[in-house]
Amino acid sequence: MKRLVYINDDSCRYSYCDNRISNTKYTLWNFFPKNLWEQFRRFMNQYFLLIACLQLWSRITPVSPVTTWGPLIIIFIVSASKEAWDDYNRYLSDKKANERNVWVVKDGVRRQIKAQDIHVGDIVWLHENDEIPCDLVLIGTSDPQGICYIETSALDGETDLKPRIVPPISANMSVEQLEKVKGIVECPNPDNDIRRFDANMRLFLPSVDNEKCPLTINNTLLQSCYLRYTEWACGVAVYTGNETKSGMSRGTAEPKLTAADAMIDKLTIAIFMLQIVVVLVLGYFGNIWKHTKGLKQWYLMYPAEGPWYGFLVIPLRFELLCSIMIPISIKVTLDLAKGVYAKFIDWDEQMFDWETNTPAHSANTAISEDLGQVEYILSDKTGTLTENRMIFKRCCINNIMYGNDNGDALKDARLLNAVSSNDPDIVKFLMVMALCNTVVPVKSNDDTVSYKAQSQDEEALVNAASNLNMMLISKDSSTAEICFNGSKFKYELLDVLEFTSDRKRMSVVVKEGQTGKILLLSKGADEAILPRVYPGQQKQRYLEAVEMYSQLGLRTLCLGWRDLEEDEYKEWSKNFQEASCSLENRESKIAEVCDSLERDLHILGVTAIEDRLQDGVPETIKLLRNAGINVWMLTGDKQNTAIQIGLLCNLITSEPNSQLLSISGKTEQDILRSLERALLITKNTCETKDLAFVLDGWALEIILKHSKESFTRLAMLSKTAICCRMTPLQKAQLVAILKSVGYLTLAIGDGGNDVRMIQEANIGVGISGREGLQAARAADYSIGKFKFLKRLILIHGRYSYNRTAFISQYSFYKSLLICFIQILFAFLSGFSGTSLFNSISLMAYNVFYTSLPVMTIIFDKDISETTVLQYPQILLHSQAGRLLNPTTFCGWFGRSLYHALVIFFITICAYADEKSEMQELSMVALSGCIWLQAFVVMMDSNSFTSPQIILIWGNFVAFYMINLILSAVPSLQLYTIMFRLCGQPSYWITMALTVAVAMVPVMAFRYFRNLYWPSPINILQQIEQSNGSIQPSRNVGSALKPARTNLTNLLTGSRGSRGSSYQPLLSDSAESTR
Amino acid sequence: MPTFRTHFSYEALLELRSSYTCSSVKTDSKFTQQELPACKPILTPKWVISVFVLVGVIFVPIGVASLRASQQVVEIVDRYDDACVPANVTDKLAYIQDKSIQKSCTRTLTVTKDMNQPIFVYYQLDNFYQNHRRYVKSRSDDQLRDKSKAAVTTNCDPEATLNGKPIVPCGLIAWSLFNDTYNLILNNDNLTVDKKDISWKSDREHKFGSDVFPQNFQQGPLIGGKTLNPNVSLSEQEDLIVWMRTAALPTFRKLYGRIHVDLKVNDTITVHLENNYNTYSFGGKKKLVLSTTTWLGGKNDFLGLAYLTVGGLCFFLAFAFTLLYLIKPRKSGDNNYLSWNRPPVGR
Repeated sequence: MKRLVYINDDSCRYSYCDNRISNTKYTLWNFFPKNLWEQFRRFMNQYFLLIACLQLWSRITPVSPVTTWGPLIIIFIVSASKEAWDDYNRYLSDKKANERNVWVVKDGVRRQIKAQDIHVGDIVWLHENDEIPCDLVLIGTSDPQGICYIETSALDGETDLKPRIVPPISANMSVEQLEKVKGIVECPNPDNDIRRFDANMRLFLPSVDNEKCPLTINNTLLQSCYLRYTEWACGVAVYTGNETKSGMSRGTAEPKLTAADAMIDKLTIAIFMLQIVVVLVLGYFGNIWKHTKGLKQWYLMYPAEGPWYGFLVIPLRFELLCSIMIPISIKVTLDLAKGVYAKFIDWDEQMFDWETNTPAHSANTAISEDLGQVEYILSDKTGTLTENRMIFKRCCINNIMYGNDNGDALKDARLLNAVSSNDPDIVKFLMVMALCNTVVPVKSNDDTVSYKAQSQDEEALVNAASNLNMMLISKDSSTAEICFNGSKFKYELLDVLEFTSDRKRMSVVVKEGQTGKILLLSKGADEAILPRVYPGQQKQRYLEAVEMYSQLGLRTLCLGWRDLEEDEYKEWSKNFQEASCSLENRESKIAEVCDSLERDLHILGVTAIEDRLQDGVPETIKLLRNAGINVWMLTGDKQNTAIQIGLLCNLITSEPNSQLLSISGKTEQDILRSLERALLITKNTCETKDLAFVLDGWALEIILKHSKESFTRLAMLSKTAICCRMTPLQKAQLVAILKSVGYLTLAIGDGGNDVRMIQEANIGVGISGREGLQAARAADYSIGKFKFLKRLILIHGRYSYNRTAFISQYSFYKSLLICFIQILFAFLSGFSGTSLFNSISLMAYNVFYTSLPVMTIIFDKDISETTVLQYPQILLHSQAGRLLNPTTFCGWFGRSLYHALVIFFITICAYADEKSEMQELSMVALSGCIWLQAFVVMMDSNSFTSPQIILIWGNFVAFYMINLILSAVPSLQLYTIMFRLCGQPSYWITMALTVAVAMVPVMAFRYFRNLYWPSPINILQQIEQSNGSIQPSRNVGSALKPARTNLTNLLTGSRGSRGSSYQPLLSDSAESTR
Repeated sequence: MPTFRTHFSYEALLELRSSYTCSSVKTDSKFTQQELPACKPILTPKWVISVFVLVGVIFVPIGVASLRASQQVVEIVDRYDDACVPANVTDKLAYIQDKSIQKSCTRTLTVTKDMNQPIFVYYQLDNFYQNHRRYVKSRSDDQLRDKSKAAVTTNCDPEATLNGKPIVPCGLIAWSLFNDTYNLILNNDNLTVDKKDISWKSDREHKFGSDVFPQNFQQGPLIGGKTLNPNVSLSEQEDLIVWMRTAALPTFRKLYGRIHVDLKVNDTITVHLENNYNTYSFGGKKKLVLSTTTWLGGKNDFLGLAYLTVGGLCFFLAFAFTLLYLIKPRKSGDNNYLSWNRPPVGR
């Protein structure tokens, strides 16, 4: 459990690892086997390897083994080199970090060594702007107060400076002493909690008594942070290498599989089954034919006695012949397409945030299709829906509300007058604003003071105070200086009772420099402060103020203070020290001690801080909800504020159109009862009414403990929910609940507290906002503003889904097409497993002829972006998986069977008798496939851009060019074939016939369906066509209003048939069969 | 440096951020913004009906022309496998396999229509699987082309070597070479069947070597088909070259020769044939075919009929769709058809 670190002592330094960082996945030696092993964990790769190995047996292979080995090796090399490149880069950056020079004290002498050679117990000497090489316990700095500042943005994404303090035991030590110091640090084993370090230290010094000194996270310098504004600092290495806190919190994320990918896998397995059946049936026929007819065909010279495995030969041949049923190229094609989708997101100018110069970025290139199938959005509030730019707007002091008239207290003449007249209540109020915080004033060269704060609220308060002439001028660990109306006051900072999310308040204990009075200054949430007032204080007015401010969507804080007696403080201080030193349950012990002090407060007033909604949030939420996406808001903020923000951003509407069900209560029973009630109401309410439920973190905790199932049911029925007072873990739990019932979730947030939820969700979106970049780093996509989410989902997500649906099904179509022709040919070749096509053609067909035209679909748009944004309901189509599901696949399957029959029968009828030469007939059939696939891609493209036309017809021309060139090589089987065919009128007539017979029914069917059973996409296409461009005024109004109500029906109706996600959500039954 | 999950892509983002300037945005923006100009054809009634009419208009004349071409071809087909076995023979297989019997046979054909030269003489085999996997692979192209590669007989089993020496040409295809012969007599005059140039020129020149001569061919215990003159190079053995162009279908015709004489209606052709080739073991038919040819090839009604059918179908569909459109017009692109704009049914 514990780790003992002997400071500056070589005796035990080798019991822990050195400071070598390694982020690489492979080593030089294990790369090949490990990478191969990883690749072969995929079913498809195993399958193709098996096929490739079988092909080495020349007795059964219908075509040259190159047809499988070639593509397989290419695919392997491509993915292995990608992995190798990534890993090499990781290695380089590790190496750079490991070989960095650092100063270390050894035997009392400072020496420069490589970072990787630091051992636990070494004293590391850092200079300003150095990166910290490992986790250190601070023992000395250049600052006489023992403070240094670090920037932790690499660790938690927060850009503000954080002060770190030398523990009292080693404070005031000289540089010489520091270089020779010995001692023991007792600390927990390595973990990944970057906010906790419960340890203690003992130094062996003659001058200091041998007392244990407690250490907290504030006494540490963590790896990968930077030392700032401090000339030097030194510390004892406690965790090194990959055992540091940042090393331990590095996780490898599981690769995410999209819903479309899962469907493709299912289809692949289905096709594999079909293949087995075909192989067994044809193999059986083959053996029968061999024994009944084959032995009589003297020219085949079947030996009377075959080898014992003779009965296996024909089935295995068919297995190889049919192996092309599963397209080897599908993964490469899809990966390529997905890469392009991701690039389109990166390039999108309309998602470029000009304010912060942030482009949208997709860190995960593999999951764009899922964006188009999102069903639940779980959004953070602060910084995501709002700007996270806190501005002090109103306050209520001494029962007077300031800022009510003009909405800005800083411009309220009454307040300004009160300030200039030194109203004592107001002065106290401002003093709390200026002192009760952890803000660091930073003096710049021109003597102006700027503030660095961890909390945006505190920064807003301090700034407001300074606008009201109460300036916080300087502050160090023990003193603070403020300047009010020109006169300076000094305060001694005795203790800081820190803010935690449980306590929801923070306090400071200060001693007035002039009078020596000890004061407790507190600020916190109303429910944390108001119950702690002294008996008899009027709080009614403040409750009203809080109520009113949260109605306006403002964040409120209550400020209070109390005088402390010298004795009372001394006694408390002792308890506080003790609690701070405890190794176990430190946090709760401290909370208990703080509690005992924070009582009998005098309420000074209430502050209200505005956090404005981001630009375009209400419109975006409305659009997303019209698109059938359910939006939940998860916030750490309090209920009233959350509800107000919910109203402001269209998440919930006011009565009577909607009803807010609150799940709350004083006891566990109350909460569970109110949950059941909410569930009952939700089930029985008329569907046109919007229902939303509200609950807080405490209620959620109880519900998850006792009644998870009912809550899951409620979650499935609720389109909207507001969850307040959520911890990061609870946010992730909510995502997990929705995921567990099969919904596709998207989590969006901006701060470190959203990271868990972002990683848990199917899709994580980070807003690169003011709370740092931590969320953006963990997310699959990062965007600059919430409003870009609509483009990300409705445009990029939807198009990606449509395109992937086409590409994957088309890949199966073309493979099945050529495979069916081979199967049909088996009936005419005595079930012997002859391949109609030669090896070159087969390989080129899969790799070249058919893979290029299908890529053109990445430019395809079924309906224009404007139309999608105007009719967001169309997203339901892709959300329900209407374009890629077993039904649509059956359509493609049927089409490939039909087309194979057409090609085969037209070919053998037109090229019968004296024309039935093997090579010619094979080339006629192959040309038929190429012609058809060009027309199929044409038919299924919704729009034609120049690259599409060039690729489709260029590929067509390339096919003829390649085959004409191949026909000029005498050693090939194809020699002269193409020249002969192109000279025959019957060849061209046959091709035209094939196309007509194959495409006329498809076109007729499609026309008929588009006109009489149109899908919403068809209708929108027609609308686009007839309007030229859509007139927004008319359509939006008429389309959206009834849409709202009916959508409710559709959505709630569809919930019952959950599980088969491809079932039509829309009430029409036009399926996408083709 | 700590590496978080998206570390490298994140660096890329930062790079993007810095490189993203107004000037660089505009390059290729049509492409990157997915705003390439596009045309969006839609299956509107007008468009679809005119396509069908157009297809019909194109297909019917082609069909008529193809059918006429096929009808112009005069074709005489005579099946002789059964007829050429004497009536008293019960075991046809034993009969055909008996080398000692002289198997000549005489058939009489009557010309049904005038036939203009050149007239093609084919033999047709039925139920003969030249496309069987065992058969189709049993050859060595290297050996046929190149004198020095006579020993390359990898795929030729079981007709690869004889007493350790390579067979040229090896393999089942060559071994089973068709060996019936036809002598044609027109009204008591000998009718010359020109056997020159019956194979593909490219095969003679590049696939079969002029310096490659048959070796050890048909010398084994089992004799398949025709024997080859070991003094004639393979490139001049045109029957072999024709036979080696394997057929893809179990019923096929192969060119035997050409007649450069016009035949008149009711001319009588007497065929003296030697019936050597064994199709009796597997019940295959043998036919002698005399046929003229047109621009479309031999007699084959399929293309013509198929074109007429497709053309007719297109006209019918165009007509039916027009009718349907007139009877039950439907406004295309009506907002009210959108499912979310329709009152929910049956709920």
